[in-house]
Amino acid sequence: MQTDVQKDTGGAVISAFLIGIACLVIWDSLSYMDGDSAVFPRTFAGVLIAASLAYIVMWLLGRAKAGAAPEGGSSMRRILLVVVMLGGTMTMPVVGFIGAALPVFVALTLIAMYDPWTRFRVLVYPLIGTAIVLGFFYLFREILQVPLPTGSLFEG
Amino acid sequence: MAGFEHLLAALTPLNLAFALFGVVAGTVIGAIPGLTATMSVAILVPLTFAMPTSSALILMGAIYTGAIYGGAYSAILLNTPGTPSAIATTFDGYPLAKKGDGDYAITIACLASIIGGLIGAVALMTLAPPLSEVALAFGPVEYFWLAIFGLSLIAALSEGSLIKGAAGGALGLILSCIGVAEVAGDVRLTFGSQTMLSGIQIVAALIGLYCIPVLIDLVAQPGHHLKVDTGSRGFRLGEALSYLWRDKINAVRSSVIGTIVGILPGAGGSIASLVAYSEARRTASKDQAYGKGEPGGIIASESSNNATVGGGFIPTLVLGIPGTPPDAVILGALLVQGVRTGPSLFTNQGEIVYTFIWGLILATILMLPTGLLIGRYAYRTIITLPKALLVPAIAFMTIIGSYAIRNNISDVIIMIVLGGFGWIIGRFGFTASPIVLGLILGPIAESGFVQAWTIGRATENQMGMFFGRPISIAIILFTLFTLLSPFVLARLKKIKERANAD
Repeated sequence: MQTDVQKDTGGAVISAFLIGIACLVIWDSLSYMDGDSAVFPRTFAGVLIAASLAYIVMWLLGRAKAGAAPEGGSSMRRILLVVVMLGGTMTMPVVGFIGAALPVFVALTLIAMYDPWTRFRVLVYPLIGTAIVLGFFYLFREILQVPLPTGSLFEG
Repeated sequence: MAGFEHLLAALTPLNLAFALFGVVAGTVIGAIPGLTATMSVAILVPLTFAMPTSSALILMGAIYTGAIYGGAYSAILLNTPGTPSAIATTFDGYPLAKKGDGDYAITIACLASIIGGLIGAVALMTLAPPLSEVALAFGPVEYFWLAIFGLSLIAALSEGSLIKGAAGGALGLILSCIGVAEVAGDVRLTFGSQTMLSGIQIVAALIGLYCIPVLIDLVAQPGHHLKVDTGSRGFRLGEALSYLWRDKINAVRSSVIGTIVGILPGAGGSIASLVAYSEARRTASKDQAYGKGEPGGIIASESSNNATVGGGFIPTLVLGIPGTPPDAVILGALLVQGVRTGPSLFTNQGEIVYTFIWGLILATILMLPTGLLIGRYAYRTIITLPKALLVPAIAFMTIIGSYAIRNNISDVIIMIVLGGFGWIIGRFGFTASPIVLGLILGPIAESGFVQAWTIGRATENQMGMFFGRPISIAIILFTLFTLLSPFVLARLKKIKERANAD
């Protein structure tokens, strides 16, 4: 008898999720005014459903084998990384580029820190972080002329 | 004539200084995820307006060629293609860097880029007028079949399960449909969200799908990002040259593919590198483990994408049709300079054109010292920077790079969400590469298909439109050959083994 690890239940769950996405695509394509716009999404939604169904059938037959076990590690740090990046990006239009980037840099430094905090690190890491943020701010805004968000909070 | 006098004209101290500056600036800009070759050329175009025409062209060509090469750094060291042209460099470059051979991978990428750049430039110098006709022979249906050929690479990129690869490819093609439909103008798959209205920007998606999963795993464990070897091993130039000599057919074939794909307007370095990688993988020997850190994969990708520089200039200069997006920017700058592109350019303004081509060749050669030095510095920085600084620095670069493409916060949000989604499904064997392939090839396939379908309907010859044109038939046959040859060869081998056993 095969265990769940061998049977790739996760792969089958993702396949089911992809079938859901494909159904949404087909439903959305029913509202298009021009038939030409619907040809591609519908065709590839069909391919997605067929491939995902085939994988689920393989799983049911016990022929869908899981690959190597994924890397372990701290799930909390992983989630925090994504949350901080998303949060910082969403607040950027409000607090401006530097107002969002500096706290994001500090937060990510704390999340990624595994070594003990020495006096040197406490002093130097924030300085390097500030230099990176300000350096890129200058490069993009002044040299590359990218209009970085100034922040609605600070606009008159 | 492409004579000695044009080489001497390109060798003036001013032109050499421009070539050197262009290569260094292009390499650095190309290495930053999100800053593409097009952007790097566009940024520096205003500088060229007051320059002599040939010097301006040399500067722009040098920036372009440097940026295409620079994209390899982040592809190798961070698993993030700095430019879309470097997408196939990640397939073997990053696994090689993970093994502790990032320095070797960078040297291989540098040498392959030089070979590709030189072959593209020589093709531009010697074969431009006849080769430019290739661009005219490609209609919408040929682009459609070329995209389908590119999609056949899914079979090679599907690690473990072809079905998962097919599902990933279909998902990528669906994602490429999000936003306003190019042909008919319908708003598709946005579900009322303003964020999705502008669609998924390919570079932002590349950064998200390749870089964010690396960051997510990087932050979860205390170990080093890349395997670190103690002691200096230099540039490992001899080792790289030796490998390159053994794999010379791959380098030349990939450069030729890059040159030809570069000629096709709108195809560009990403398609060239994918097609060249597919061919390198298909023709690999048994002991070459493509996808697991095989230097041949880097050679295929880097030589082909740099060959598109010379190839792309062929239709740009001969027909006035830009072969790649950076060529479109350069074409605009040429018009400002008063240069009239067209078949007579090589005879009427040969002095400018040939000086430029020699300048491009010199810039490509200058990539050797500059590329190796910058690459070594980039490698040392990545392996010595503490994780507590590396993670926020990379995360910060992904955010600002994704934003800078269209000055749009939505692109950054989509990049992060796609990255998180890519990490989740990646844990269950749905790898990023087929999704990215679908995303890149989707718009080309769709517009080619719909245009060909419409023309076929108008001429009442849809079958003939899709299956009756010689180039289309050749691409279809080649696609079938690529897809079926591994199975046929395996079957023949089994039959032979059985016969031997009997």
